[in-house]
Amino acid sequence: MSLVPTPEVLPIARGYFDGLLLLTFPLHLLLMNAMIGAMALALWAHWCKTPVSERLAYQLAKILPLLIAFTINFGVPPLLFTQVIFGHYLYSSSIIMGVYWLSVIPVLLIMYYGAYLYDFKFWNFGRRGLPILALSGVLMLAIGFIFTNNMTLMINTEAWQEYFSHSGGLFLNLADATLVPRYLHMMVGALAVGGLAVAVLSRLWQQKDAEVAALAMTSGMRLFFYATCVQVVLGVWFLLALPANVMMLFMGQQFIATLLFIVALVLVVSVLLTAWKKRLGRCAWLTVTLLYVMSFMRAVVREGYLNQHVVEQTVATQHDYSPLMLFVVTLVIGLALIAWMVKATLLCREH
Amino acid sequence: MNYPVWYLPEVGGGMLMAIIAITHVFISHFAVGGGLYLVATEYKARRDNDFQMLEFVKKHSKFFMLVSMVYGGVTGVGIWFTIGLIQPDATADLIHTFVFGWAAEWVWFLVEIVALLVYYYKFDSMDEGDHLRVGLIYFVAAWLSLFLINGIIGFMLTPGEWLTDGNFWSGFFNPTFWPSLWFRFAVSTLLAGVFAFFTTIFISSAKFRHKMTRYSSLWCLGSMAVVIPTGYWYLKVLPSATQEIFSISPTIANSVKVGAFSTAAFIVLVTLFTLWKPAWHNMVSALLVAICALSMMGSFEWIREAGRRPFVVNNYRYSNGIPLARVNELNQGFLANSKWSLVGEINSDNLTQAGEELFKFQCYACHTLDGFNNDIRVRTATSSFNAMVKYLDKIHDRRPFMPPFVGTAMEKKALAAYLVGTLHGKEVTVEPHNHAINLGQHLLDEECTSCHGSDIVKDWAQGMTLDQVKQGLLSLSTIDASMDDYAGSVSELEALASFILGIPPANVGRPVESVDGAAQFNDECTMCHDAQTCFDWAVDKTSNEISEGLLHLSQISSSMDDFAGTKAELEAMTEFIKKEAKGGTQ
Repeated sequence: MSLVPTPEVLPIARGYFDGLLLLTFPLHLLLMNAMIGAMALALWAHWCKTPVSERLAYQLAKILPLLIAFTINFGVPPLLFTQVIFGHYLYSSSIIMGVYWLSVIPVLLIMYYGAYLYDFKFWNFGRRGLPILALSGVLMLAIGFIFTNNMTLMINTEAWQEYFSHSGGLFLNLADATLVPRYLHMMVGALAVGGLAVAVLSRLWQQKDAEVAALAMTSGMRLFFYATCVQVVLGVWFLLALPANVMMLFMGQQFIATLLFIVALVLVVSVLLTAWKKRLGRCAWLTVTLLYVMSFMRAVVREGYLNQHVVEQTVATQHDYSPLMLFVVTLVIGLALIAWMVKATLLCREH
Repeated sequence: MNYPVWYLPEVGGGMLMAIIAITHVFISHFAVGGGLYLVATEYKARRDNDFQMLEFVKKHSKFFMLVSMVYGGVTGVGIWFTIGLIQPDATADLIHTFVFGWAAEWVWFLVEIVALLVYYYKFDSMDEGDHLRVGLIYFVAAWLSLFLINGIIGFMLTPGEWLTDGNFWSGFFNPTFWPSLWFRFAVSTLLAGVFAFFTTIFISSAKFRHKMTRYSSLWCLGSMAVVIPTGYWYLKVLPSATQEIFSISPTIANSVKVGAFSTAAFIVLVTLFTLWKPAWHNMVSALLVAICALSMMGSFEWIREAGRRPFVVNNYRYSNGIPLARVNELNQGFLANSKWSLVGEINSDNLTQAGEELFKFQCYACHTLDGFNNDIRVRTATSSFNAMVKYLDKIHDRRPFMPPFVGTAMEKKALAAYLVGTLHGKEVTVEPHNHAINLGQHLLDEECTSCHGSDIVKDWAQGMTLDQVKQGLLSLSTIDASMDDYAGSVSELEALASFILGIPPANVGRPVESVDGAAQFNDECTMCHDAQTCFDWAVDKTSNEISEGLLHLSQISSSMDDFAGTKAELEAMTEFIKKEAKGGTQ
């Protein structure tokens, strides 16, 4: 008997949930990357001791808790839609590594409060604030490691047999050949995109403190360029670590996957070129596009794994779209309210 | 079964849920009422040009952000993680039924975050009117979050029409939706006052500190005036089965006591330390008030959760994850149908291992092993193997808040072997013993009680003669077309009819094995309480009084059934109790 649980009935066609997942997950990634990049640059800037770098660290300290808040918030929709489509895989893998999975919550709380403490007591603590920020940074990386473990374990159903000797939830998917390259790919990619995000944010500080803005711009772009170069190597490692049948999907075996791979390669070259030429705006848009393409490739990898363990997922016979309309209407109203609040904030900033 | 069980025997899933859920619920309600508190107080301060009050609101908004957005937001995700770990089936039910409800709730969560950040960071620089509007947007978004989550939580207790039509809106606007919404909203404004007590302590001016402390106490007491009637309304709309669970569950009884005591203490503390003598207010009183509020909230949530028992989604899925619709199928072989069981088929070598698997899948959702919460080792300490098997047969009837055992007769014995043999080292005899069961009782169990209770049969036979009962059994299809006429042998018919009428087996000419009073006593009594309790009760009673007592056990405690065995069994058990009671006191 297969260990894959029987999934629940989908309320409407799966395509809606796939679409929503693919739309919202890169938004979470963007914020998570900005959070990790801002954290890394704040650590570096604070460490450098110069007055300008210290002021940059303070600007990043102020923005870090907000990035954490939005990273968590934007993590909700992809986790929700993942549970709808892949809940039967995700719950099983989460249980097998239950202790680590649940530990994300206290670790996240400590990391979050650490970031606020660093922000609110920045000038009081001085350099004593560095260990607090470093601790928050390490915890951020730890959360990423736990997530990578679960995301690899949920698709690697052979490893689920470990449950029968680890029913206490103390298992990590360490034997998986893709774990390390995948984790490094995510984290180094986060550093790169985070660096770019800090470069974009530097425009906010242009009028207030031009020196800080300039430092944020150069350091952010430099981090983006070098981390992306490393990322190319890690990407190749990750690709080669995939099971042959999954890797070959990108090598001509599946048209969409191959096309995505080619587009991603072109985009990588383009972002490196635009970063080298310091064309921030173009580089940022290309990077966002690349992030979307990469997350689509991630979905192809997941499907490649799960195709070996197909479990039929039925759809409700009577489709009720009114709850979907509730969500759409709520989203429109919510976005309108957010737009008004942002406008009011910008207005008071100008005044 | 369908999912693996995260097995931490000493901790238990319930404890994890309680730790994360109760603190989150406490903070998340504060996040709703606190929003109203902030914007109403800011409005008052601006209207009265009260700069002290405005400064207080600003400081309170920082505290509010750090508590509600950080702790509330993260533990909200934490509850999601936790329920996925300890109740994956039920989580999947909630996610798939209400996916777009959750998605809409996320939108309001996002609006809350943006509004709160703007509210705090732009407190001094934003236009006054716009700032108040941002505060109002925060409150409305928080209230709408409550509106949405209230529908989903209420669904678990009272799924209402959803059980038949499976419609999103039937489940969402369920029977407890409205009372629960207003009750929770009133609790949230009460908590707004409770948390404000922490900020008022740090106000330097004594006069202003007293003013704001008293102001906050009015939020508490005013809200309490709404909490009590809406709480009563909530209780009144609960289904009768849930109300019955409330009346018989010992854990609910304890929670009710804790809740009532906390409410009384809360009212006294708030009235005394913050309304009447705000000068007495300090960190200790703020903490005491908060502990009382947490205890009130915790009791309510515990009672609400326990009130669903034996279900996690009422009348749909049992608290151990077994769907009601699959019980009959799983009764043909629970382990064989469990994807994540180590044991499929039971044999003599894996009996106790199978029992442990059954414990994990069917009992562990509510019981720990050597843990603080509902320790199974303590609960089963007095039972013999046979008593446990018999108890598992009737577990849901005896304790309606517990799910029935699901599985084959052999699986039932395997679980009993684990609970009694492995956990307590007692003797396990898998062969059936029948010293206490006469043929009539056996036939009644086999032929009748799979469809209806034996009480129905006994009520039907009341006032009838033996021949009339026999005739009735031979023409059961005339009573109800769904029943078959009895088709056993003449002697079996005689035994069954006699048992229904309570005529001892000896009188119908069928020899029975001698009745062992001690075994009878073990089977009937020691599963629920220790033997000495019974002997103490019997110590100054005559044999007749003991027999009478056994026949009316429900008058001693509603959780006990009146003794329903044969006359010989009653006599044997009475004699045993009488003898032991005397011995026990010497």
